[in-house]
Amino acid sequence: MSARRAVLVGEVLPPEAIPITTTLIVTGAIASRDFYPGHHDRDAAIAAGSRDVFMNVMTTMGLVERFVTGWTGPHVVLESLAVKLGVSNYPGDEMVLNGSVTEVRDDHDEQHVTLQVLGHNSLGAHVTATVHLRLL
Amino acid sequence: MTEADGIADQLWDRLSSFVGLSGSPARQADDAVNQPMIRHWCQAVGDANPAYLSDDWTDGGSRLGIVAPPTMLQVWTHHDRRVRPVEVSEDNAEERLARLLQAEGYPSVVATECQQEYVRYLRPGDILTYRSVIDGISQEKKTRLGNGFFITTLVTYTAAPEEVVGRMRFVTFRFRPAASDA
Repeated sequence: MSARRAVLVGEVLPPEAIPITTTLIVTGAIASRDFYPGHHDRDAAIAAGSRDVFMNVMTTMGLVERFVTGWTGPHVVLESLAVKLGVSNYPGDEMVLNGSVTEVRDDHDEQHVTLQVLGHNSLGAHVTATVHLRLL
Repeated sequence: MTEADGIADQLWDRLSSFVGLSGSPARQADDAVNQPMIRHWCQAVGDANPAYLSDDWTDGGSRLGIVAPPTMLQVWTHHDRRVRPVEVSEDNAEERLARLLQAEGYPSVVATECQQEYVRYLRPGDILTYRSVIDGISQEKKTRLGNGFFITTLVTYTAAPEEVVGRMRFVTFRFRPAASDA
């Protein structure tokens, strides 16, 4: 049995506020090799009907992953991540991530855990996520 | 039924014929999973997880050496259309669909849903291949962004030679921006 503590249903993750900057949006897009202009070129984003550059889905998923695995620590295997996207993340805003444990199943030395994560910004819900992971 | 409704129905008939088609020819990643791209990604999203960054990190069991963040799944086979323009071939329904909608006045796109399943973690050296199928197309919907269509794509990622390492269900909304409807 590993030394980690047992996770319980209903456990709440410490909320995290992430400043949404142009730099975060652009570096996330480019690091994910997503050169769609709406993620790095403000003029192109506005011409396409957006108010500014907006965060791509890969960056959003990466931030949800960071939020969850920051809480579990590195001894974890992410099995799936499902996100629904709502309002966009635009520069100058802040996204607050909240999460909680909704299901736990013990399997020998491992725990299978399901979490719900919500990311809100000033416009509303940006991301609603369900995460399945295995604690080693 | 108005004339506009009739035109919309004709368009939807054409769109619905795409369901079940191969989204694109199998596309192999330009580069194997690699540490520099993992490091760039971790710096961009601010992730300091040693499993992704430290060569000598171990979980005490099966893992030794870095793995890629699972949410990078989509990154490895992403391609830049300017460098390698996508061919509009019979087996590239995603591209044909995008161009049809562009021509019909729906030029913009946003992702609305993404479900990823990680069969195993990826390691430097894995060479991924992307295969997709168009799973569904909605009727025209009105949203605060504008009018458009929700398109669902199922993607399978394999590592060479033929090991399924991940799956993705991806929904995008291709739309006519509301401001240009006037």
